[in-house]
Amino acid sequence: MNNELKPQSAVQEAQTRAFVGALQQGSQTYWDMVEIGDELSRDLHITPELVILYLDPVEDYNPWYEGWRMNSWHIDGESPFGGAIVPPLLVSHFVLSVQFDHTKPFAIGSIHTFHDSEILEPIPVGATVRITTRAIDKYEKRGRRYVRHEVHVTDTATGMLYFREVRDILSL
Amino acid sequence: MTSQNGLNLDSLRITPETPVGYELQPIKKKAAIQLMGSRVWGRFNPNHWDPDYARSTGLTDPIQTGEMSSAYISEMCVNHFGAAMLKNARIVCKYIASTIANEVIVTGGVITEKTPKGNGFRFRADIWAANEAGEKKTVGWVEADVGV
Repeated sequence: MNNELKPQSAVQEAQTRAFVGALQQGSQTYWDMVEIGDELSRDLHITPELVILYLDPVEDYNPWYEGWRMNSWHIDGESPFGGAIVPPLLVSHFVLSVQFDHTKPFAIGSIHTFHDSEILEPIPVGATVRITTRAIDKYEKRGRRYVRHEVHVTDTATGMLYFREVRDILSL
Repeated sequence: MTSQNGLNLDSLRITPETPVGYELQPIKKKAAIQLMGSRVWGRFNPNHWDPDYARSTGLTDPIQTGEMSSAYISEMCVNHFGAAMLKNARIVCKYIASTIANEVIVTGGVITEKTPKGNGFRFRADIWAANEAGEKKTVGWVEADVGV
């Protein structure tokens, strides 16, 4: 394949097809995977490197979030709250890895359509947070099927509530 | 601090004196497929980075995760609200159209309300992300406390 968007050699193309084939195996629709009341929870250690991995693809270079810098590596960082802090919507992004039961094949084809996010307290880089999701509704609108979750993100050490969210997923 | 292009970055910050109608300065990004398919973003779903798979599902090309446009909007909001975006803030985004690979996305926002709170105000702004033709992809609103 020599796609203008994604130039690849024959080896890369074969590796891509194998990877995509594995993603599709055993996948259910999200609608069928979730029942109202389902609750899932996982702990996420927000390392300085994870913050960088999140920020670089969206090209956000605000120094407040840097607990890792090339050449220096781990640093305390600086922000209006003291040391480096986590970007406002980082934990929202990782909710997906909780609400989609990670022990099952991912429901590819699902689309995130909405979020209502409350950023309650700054999260220091290096914190471990508990992300808890609960399915609160399944509904159909204009022939499309949606699953709604509520989310709470707390500090595993102190119990502080950092973040709260309601979000919708459009299922196949 | 004035940058070399003459823009005073400190002047972006919203203060208690900022009026309703004030327009947020845009952020502009290209939806590059190599970024859309990075491991932490869209790698888990080939609709975000594999042209062949995307076309097999009826898309013209891979689409960006909506959360990338939320991140762009969030960056714009931090530029204007500063630390207020990280404590007792709220941001609501609805993904109304897909961002297609290679589109250039521009964020925007305008202050719509300021409600007295403590010694300052709770500001509310309409926010959006659109392509260069002005077709909106993400719409919503944000609230933050300034000078409270």
